[in-house]
Amino acid sequence: MTEVLHELLRGSLDHCVKCTICETACPVSNVTPLFPGPKYVGPQAERYRVDDEPAVEWSVDYCSGCGICTQVCPQGVKIAEINALARHKVKQQRGVPLRDRLIARPTVLGRLGTPVARLANASLRSRPLRAGIERAIGVHRHAPVPKLAGRTFRSWARRHQSPPRVRRVVYFHGCGTEYYEPDIGEKTVAVLEHNGFQVEIPKQGCCGLPLQSNGLFDDARKYVLRLARALAPRARDGALIVGNATSCTLMLKREAREILGLADDPDLKLVSERTYDVCELLLELHDRGELKTEMRPVEETVAYHAPCQQQGHWIGKPALDLLALVPGLEVQELDARCCGIAGTYGLKRDKYEIAMAVGADLFRQIRDSRAGLVACDSETCRWQIEHATRLPSAHPIELLHRAYGL
Amino acid sequence: MAGLSTDVLVIGGGATGAGVAWDAALRGFHVVLADRLDLCEGTSGRFHGLLHSGGRYVVKDPKAAEECIAENRILREVASDCIEDTGGLFVTTPSDDRDYADRFAEGCRATDVDCEEIDPAEVLREEPRLHPGISRAFHVPDASIDAWKTVWALARGAHERGGARILPYHAAVAIRRTGDRVEGARLRDTRTGEELDVEARVTVNATGAWAGRIADLAGIEGVRVLPGRGIMIAMNHRLVNTVVNRCQMPTDGDILVPIRTVSVMGTTDVHTDDPDDHTVRQEEVDAMLEDGEKLVPGFREARALRVWTGVRPLFQDTKDDVADTRDVTRAHTLLDHTERDGVGGFVTITGGKLTTFRLMAEETVDAVCRQLGEERPCTTATERLPGSEDGEHYVIGERLARRESQLTDDQLICECELITRRKLEEALRRRGTDDLGDFRRVLRLGMGPCQGGFCMYRATGIMHGLDGMSVERANDALLGFLQERWKGVWPILYGDQLRQARLDDWIFQGVLDVGHLRT
Amino acid sequence: MRPTLHYDAVVVGAGVAGLTAAARLAEGGAKVCVLAKGVGSTHLAAGTVDVLGYDPERVESPAEALPELVAARPDHPYALVGVDAIGAALGWFAERVERGPQPGYRYVGNLDRNQLLPTAVGAARPSALVPETMAAGDLRAAEPVCAVGLRPLREFHASLCAANIARSGVEARAVEVPLDADRPDENALAIARRFEDPAVRRAFADRLASHLREGERVALPAVLGVRDPHAAWSELESRLGRRVFEIPTLPPSVPGIRVFDALRAAVRAAGGRIVMGAEVVGADRDGDRVTALRAHTAGRATTYGARWVVLATGGFASGALTLGSDWVVRERVLGLPVRGVPGAGEPRFGPDYFGDQPLARAGIAVDSAQRAEGLENVLVAGAALPGAEPWREGSGEGISLASGHRAAELVRAEEGLAAAA
Repeated sequence: MTEVLHELLRGSLDHCVKCTICETACPVSNVTPLFPGPKYVGPQAERYRVDDEPAVEWSVDYCSGCGICTQVCPQGVKIAEINALARHKVKQQRGVPLRDRLIARPTVLGRLGTPVARLANASLRSRPLRAGIERAIGVHRHAPVPKLAGRTFRSWARRHQSPPRVRRVVYFHGCGTEYYEPDIGEKTVAVLEHNGFQVEIPKQGCCGLPLQSNGLFDDARKYVLRLARALAPRARDGALIVGNATSCTLMLKREAREILGLADDPDLKLVSERTYDVCELLLELHDRGELKTEMRPVEETVAYHAPCQQQGHWIGKPALDLLALVPGLEVQELDARCCGIAGTYGLKRDKYEIAMAVGADLFRQIRDSRAGLVACDSETCRWQIEHATRLPSAHPIELLHRAYGL
Repeated sequence: MAGLSTDVLVIGGGATGAGVAWDAALRGFHVVLADRLDLCEGTSGRFHGLLHSGGRYVVKDPKAAEECIAENRILREVASDCIEDTGGLFVTTPSDDRDYADRFAEGCRATDVDCEEIDPAEVLREEPRLHPGISRAFHVPDASIDAWKTVWALARGAHERGGARILPYHAAVAIRRTGDRVEGARLRDTRTGEELDVEARVTVNATGAWAGRIADLAGIEGVRVLPGRGIMIAMNHRLVNTVVNRCQMPTDGDILVPIRTVSVMGTTDVHTDDPDDHTVRQEEVDAMLEDGEKLVPGFREARALRVWTGVRPLFQDTKDDVADTRDVTRAHTLLDHTERDGVGGFVTITGGKLTTFRLMAEETVDAVCRQLGEERPCTTATERLPGSEDGEHYVIGERLARRESQLTDDQLICECELITRRKLEEALRRRGTDDLGDFRRVLRLGMGPCQGGFCMYRATGIMHGLDGMSVERANDALLGFLQERWKGVWPILYGDQLRQARLDDWIFQGVLDVGHLRT
Repeated sequence: MRPTLHYDAVVVGAGVAGLTAAARLAEGGAKVCVLAKGVGSTHLAAGTVDVLGYDPERVESPAEALPELVAARPDHPYALVGVDAIGAALGWFAERVERGPQPGYRYVGNLDRNQLLPTAVGAARPSALVPETMAAGDLRAAEPVCAVGLRPLREFHASLCAANIARSGVEARAVEVPLDADRPDENALAIARRFEDPAVRRAFADRLASHLREGERVALPAVLGVRDPHAAWSELESRLGRRVFEIPTLPPSVPGIRVFDALRAAVRAAGGRIVMGAEVVGADRDGDRVTALRAHTAGRATTYGARWVVLATGGFASGALTLGSDWVVRERVLGLPVRGVPGAGEPRFGPDYFGDQPLARAGIAVDSAQRAEGLENVLVAGAALPGAEPWREGSGEGISLASGHRAAELVRAEEGLAAAA
């Protein structure tokens, strides 16, 4: 069955009328000639690809996987998904470098690094060591590698008792929260509980997105299915699944089913239907008049950037509507496509400069906005923005948490 | 009037005519090859691209099957670059007679057509779009062959190896007949109106479906060719990567051929009187779509690019006592008019199928030798065509790989078919024509999904920019292309292709307003 | 399914018609959401406002020709909206652009006289309202033209353009100016982004100046910037000391993208919401009212409850109307009845590409208040309306603006919202 689904995905190339709208929106092809653009690499080149013939085009590896092309395509071509499959084949042929295997496994890095966080963080700030790492495995010396928290979110979650309520949600926190930003996880839980949810935090692993974007499809499937098995029973009981990492929730909502060909898996199907981004969920609550709106003023100017993989949810920008409820908060909506990091793409030695060029427009807008803080839903984007602009960056939920006075 | 003198004048520049030119040139003859249009615009340029394994004929016409498999093996060697080794399948779908499969297998054994039965589950893994209800399946050595590439390689080869004169756009307006000998023909250059007198020791009538007309010009009776018209539909992408045949007696709409970037569904068989009749009938289109669904469920939702017709030359010799037109043969027919009509210096070759062109050419040139009283052996079974020297088959990823190496070098003019500016300019200079249609055929310019929507303005601009092209001619070329393209598009226009056509309307009539160019 | 988000009005489609309707509704105080499966017609069209170019002869004055057209073709969208609505919509549009995100940028022209602008192939095309950056190209003026080709832009062929301009009686010639580029192929948008940099413009002007002759006006492909076209254009004019004008090229259309940006800003400024990628896949109904639209969201469909729906989904080009392989025309979003479709057995297309094409005038069946047949609260605007062949008539933007504007006014009147704001 997977082959048929694969063929039908390929078949969406039939909808391409060469209108070039994807090319206008692609953040990568607009800054580097090494990437010929989504129309070329997607529906156009796909007509020349035959499964059992070797891949011939390496340029597809420069696709960052941001997914903006599919979002803007008015005809319904699954461009980013076609690219992902083509890249997978190229990587299988060429081999996946050690670097990609490592950075695609945040759980492994997190587990190994957390007990020695201070040392690890210090080492990763050491210039000579970073230069060495760049030479050895190809992670760019300036790449925005995040700081380990030194503790896991899970360790807090195990001790946390969520007050029993009628309405239950299952919190899917993702690896970023687990190893690097457990405080965001605590705040997310607090905000949900404040709004009347009982929050369950089951044992969970990685969604497999970094493995997928690095072409390691088999491993990605293992991880995402394992996660789906962990979350599905709760979903069957009627709980909603909510997450704050917009790339990871998108992986569960659709990318795993489309790109990895897992559309038939019943657990994943159920999970995908029940997964919500936390801002998405809170906005719906607000629409029903059930969101707590008593908030303290937060006198700040904040710039908001919607990550490309948040826009890929096709729900608009609910964070903006929520932040508009916070008294005193001046929010400027930034109008840039992509910060450039695209998950693990911008960490790589051969892609770092491209990533910084991709994000240049965003960074300039941030500087011009006079904002003191940048709100952004995805952790890798926050790290990129902090790295490039030296401004702090927060998840919108953190601002709500502050406004609620929790 | 200008004049030429040659050994062999070949009228008809399809696969057979070009094959005769190549064969004769290799045998040391001087050749003139003429066609009233561009080369390969007749039946050869209008078929579905299938290089037969012979499987189609093993039950109905075993002799044809034997010819096909023998030629298939030869062409794979000598014309390797023109052929993509897709392999072929014969599959029994729920719409087919289950018993035929055994007769098919038996027929293959009897005719030496390589045939291996495989598990339907395996077939569906290889070709996931095929009907899940397939009950039997066989592998055969079908392949897809690019007719234009082949014909031009033959012509080029004849020119390079034997100094042959290749004359497209030269129509035969008269055959020079003196008593009981044909001594050549008078040709007219259809672009300039100039006439050319060609004196030839032997004249070969290789005009396929038009053979009767040329024979008439020579005053020879009874060469009757019944054109059998069939439609073919090009689907936007390769729904399959293997040639797929329905395992049953040959009928309409039972082949799907992956050729270059498209898959071609074919065909029908309607008798017509006029070989230039390219009418596409709605009923045929509808029937073909239905047939497509039988092989590939969801065929109707896939995108159809264009539809065209080809005319099979079905020869009937009215000198024989055959009254029943149903038994008109698909085998080829060589008429040595010395024997048949007492007219020397004239040979007609017609009928047949593209797969057997080399054999047809061989028999023709053998007849030419006999007429000239010379014995010169044929070498086309082993002599490789220009471009096929390394014996490597065409691979569809070729253009993409080539483009990858030139990404930062050269502009893409036709994006769908990956044609670069340099390639187009070279072709424009070489051919010296302003019919954009010529480039459509050879380079596949404007034959992709957008059907010229984006590349036609660019190509016209480039063409105009090269020396000596007046703006009137450039405008005519652009408008002519739009009209020509529309002919093959509108009978099959629905779904995604209609969307494309509408966008193209917005571009050509809206943004560019070509409809109000002063002509 | 229980609606999850509620709006006063939901507009489907983010082309000119949809964004116009959404902005007007939001300006009237309605809570509006635009659902679009992708970017619309703006990025593909020329960026001019064409009201009536051919009927079928060239139209000199839309103001004069429109009443005749409306009388002769009662099925035409202009007959539906009324000639006055066109002027009102154009005025609104011009104002929004002036107030919009591109400083100093504005549209010029009016309904009294069409301007005659050269196309990229050099034909003369009539338009009512054009960006100031194009106006100097009017072929009714005799000033000779120097068309400038920019390598690596393959979308503009200056010599072909100039040669055809010359045939309309205006002297014209072509020059080529190379731009530094890190690639052989650049599209108009990429070059336009570079022209946002004053240093690039300066260098370009200096390089071009030596090629120009006395008394010539300069024709460039439409690459004079997206964010600040006024600065790019006026700077070039003053550096070159002569008039400069842009010519629209094949997509992506830079002037069209400016239109999109301006209309989107208008929607946002008025408090409207735009959701990209949310393809509408169904609706909930209650009798003859649509109560909610279901839109594609990653993982599931999100429901948008609405009191009013404006369907500005486009025609066949956008896939809102489809012709199946069974030769049946369908309206894809709500399955609405379609008018103007040739009957079974009647030709849908003609063999002459420039001749009559019967299917071209099909569209969603509506009443005189632009309401879809059979529904009380669904209005239709833009290319989805039947009765016109906008690419041939040169009436695309006129129809979209006028019908989008009017749809919003009709809804506002029903809702008792402020009539003119």
